[in-house]
Amino acid sequence: MSTESIRSRPLDGLKVCDATWYGAGPIATRALANLGADVIRIETEKRPDGLRIAQPKPDGEESLNQSGYYNNFNAEKRSITIDLTTERGHELGIELVKWADVFATNMTARAIRQIGLTWENVQEANPEIIGLYEPMQGLTGPHSEFQGFGALLSAICGVNYLAGKEDEPPIGVGTNYTDYVINPIHAAVAVMAAVRHKRRTGEGQLIDMSQLESSVSGMAGALFAWDNGQVRYERLGNRVPYAAPHGAYLANEIGDRPDHWVAIACMTDFQWAALSTVMERPDLAQDMRFATLQERKKNEIELDDIIGEWVSGFKAPDVMNKLQAASVPAGMVQKASEVLQDPHLAAREFYAYPDHSEAGKRAYDGPGFRLSETPHEIRGAAPLLGEHTWEICSEVLGMDSGEIGQLMAEQVLY
Amino acid sequence: MVGTLDDIRVLDLSEPLGHYAGYLLANLGADVVKLEPPDGDDSRSWAPFLPNLDQPESSLQFMLLNVGKRGMTLDIFSDTGREVFLQLLSEFDVLLQSWSPQQMETLGLDQATLRGLFPNLINASVTGWGLDGPYASFAYSDIVSLAMAGVMNLSGFEEGPPTQLPDQQGFHCASINLAAGVVAAILERDESGIAQDVEVSMHESLLMAEETAMQSADIRGIDRERTGGTSGVIAIKLPGMGLYSAQDGWVYAMAAGIAGSGFNGLLALMDLWGDPIADKLREEPYASVMSEFSNSAAVFRLMGDPEKMDEVKEVFAQVDELVTDFFQKYPKEKLYVEGQKLRLLIGTINGPQELSESEQLNDRDWFRTIDDSGRGLELRYPGPPWQLKATPAVLRHPAPLLGQHNEEVFSAIGLSKSEIMQMSENGVI
Repeated sequence: MSTESIRSRPLDGLKVCDATWYGAGPIATRALANLGADVIRIETEKRPDGLRIAQPKPDGEESLNQSGYYNNFNAEKRSITIDLTTERGHELGIELVKWADVFATNMTARAIRQIGLTWENVQEANPEIIGLYEPMQGLTGPHSEFQGFGALLSAICGVNYLAGKEDEPPIGVGTNYTDYVINPIHAAVAVMAAVRHKRRTGEGQLIDMSQLESSVSGMAGALFAWDNGQVRYERLGNRVPYAAPHGAYLANEIGDRPDHWVAIACMTDFQWAALSTVMERPDLAQDMRFATLQERKKNEIELDDIIGEWVSGFKAPDVMNKLQAASVPAGMVQKASEVLQDPHLAAREFYAYPDHSEAGKRAYDGPGFRLSETPHEIRGAAPLLGEHTWEICSEVLGMDSGEIGQLMAEQVLY
Repeated sequence: MVGTLDDIRVLDLSEPLGHYAGYLLANLGADVVKLEPPDGDDSRSWAPFLPNLDQPESSLQFMLLNVGKRGMTLDIFSDTGREVFLQLLSEFDVLLQSWSPQQMETLGLDQATLRGLFPNLINASVTGWGLDGPYASFAYSDIVSLAMAGVMNLSGFEEGPPTQLPDQQGFHCASINLAAGVVAAILERDESGIAQDVEVSMHESLLMAEETAMQSADIRGIDRERTGGTSGVIAIKLPGMGLYSAQDGWVYAMAAGIAGSGFNGLLALMDLWGDPIADKLREEPYASVMSEFSNSAAVFRLMGDPEKMDEVKEVFAQVDELVTDFFQKYPKEKLYVEGQKLRLLIGTINGPQELSESEQLNDRDWFRTIDDSGRGLELRYPGPPWQLKATPAVLRHPAPLLGQHNEEVFSAIGLSKSEIMQMSENGVI
């Protein structure tokens, strides 16, 4: 680890003024931080990031520094607490904008106006800056002021409509889904692309990133089919047009794991033949009802019954291992505690356990992509609220301790 | 200036798992060449299809995720093909590939070998499980990754099966991470000259999408389960929170005091339309219970307090019944637009048709028209995921026909017409 941690990273030296909160913004700037950027999050105690308040925390814990939700998304950033709604606080915010190469926010247009960091203000303060603005539906258009969280965006962007079965209500997928990969990592790509442009030409730019557009882009199949073929998408539950069998099947109970499902997918006739062999049912491979993908799709109800019955005779790990030994895609539907213990992820050292002065060594998701020479990796925990106020004021903003103390007393800083 | 990557050449050999990555790089201006096996990429045979066109040129998925790229065919597993491939690769900055460790071995092109041959190449690998670890040789599919990543366990009804996410979200999450890795590697190469390998495991790329399930297991020892019954992300049904039936479809509301105008905003909407349900909701015990939970801290506290939850359950159910009655009386679009103007967090459940006709997306000129002359069609494509104002996205080509650019790609590396012809006769291209 000690030799690892001195390796340089691709965004070393990049300075990010981070006025994001919740999920889609902080995860984007977290990726930049884990690539080496110096990311300073501006926060307030008056109106903290909702995720600092949110669960999960240890039992009975009320601290704003203990939320696993917040901490996971803010690894390696620095935190300064400034009340941007005060005059001096706003000036300090603008100083940080002048310092930065990138300004990032996913706040609503209204909240951005309240803290005085609209693109116009930011660009005026620092004409070469890259501004990432990620409001729900973009900076322009009749719905640009509308607001919501990921679960609401899921409704608007089509997740709810597309997930589940035709005869069931569109309940969504149980999370604020697009907040976690689709929108933040799209944003990280856009920022890095803009950094390249800035390095080549000196020119900064506005990134107007509508989370709606980003989300739809990441699941545009049904829309594209509708627009160009008037092909109506059918809500297929766990099925897909290009594979059969394809679904989740309930395995035999083991002890405290009565609901262990296994996902199985056969895209090719080869995989189907292999599945029949593992099931010791050579008759199925010969069965005309299932001979081709087309036939298997046509007779999918019977097919699913047959697979379901077979799976129910075995424990989930056994189903996965038998099928995978025959190169059939299969995997257990794991709960989070099982994912944390997943031997494959452990062997690949996916999770990071950086030390946090209040929360201790807790699991953080590892990077979504790896680089072989200048690594993308988590080298530190999330900041305490305002943990770096003093050091940023003194080292970045060049303030003397008298002024810092004074502003703390006035609660412009915390 | 065409785009920020207008000097970058990408050879995209990826299976459908990586198609969206190449698409993103093309949107940034890179010259992306899609290399397919001679009988075409798998997804060319995947439904749905464009009517009135035959395979292999009619798959909508292939067209959607490969627009902006040029296209060529080559059997890189043949001797000639492998040789031509290596010749070709020296012309490219980035290789996108989804070879399994076994395929790499067959080809004799593991990361170290390629690095030795092409010191300046960014070699980007996307696979189901990554290149090492006990599952590295496992077969992959989208649904299997969603299952193993714990994401699927959260999706669906409590009693029913765990439910996959729509439209290959494993493929998309892997691809977006792959594109991010490539751009980061380009930045590094620009600065230091160091070229490197990028590695994405679809399984890992999805793990952040467990939301708080991982931390809940880690910090509290509690596994989050499916909450389809509340249509939310928590197991308790808060009034004004979740899916509701409107007069003509579904709406999704978050009026429980997390942000926006909350429950008061909902009351204000009722008042605006003179709906008497507002008066009922101002009666006791509803009024005081709802005011108690009008801020997010109280709601979050409640989630961790089963006793308190039991205490308020009954009142919550009664309030929710009134809210349900209210939503049912009005059209969804009116609830959405008028509600949002009152800062109520509410949205409509949109399908492809609603998105296609969306006032917001159309006002922002998000959709793109592509003249696909090869297919004899004008096609409507979705816009890019971001709007980079100084370097707008461009799509230089319609989705390639099978082998469409063979001749120009092979001529560019000095192959003669007769050599190209011979490869064609031998089934190499």
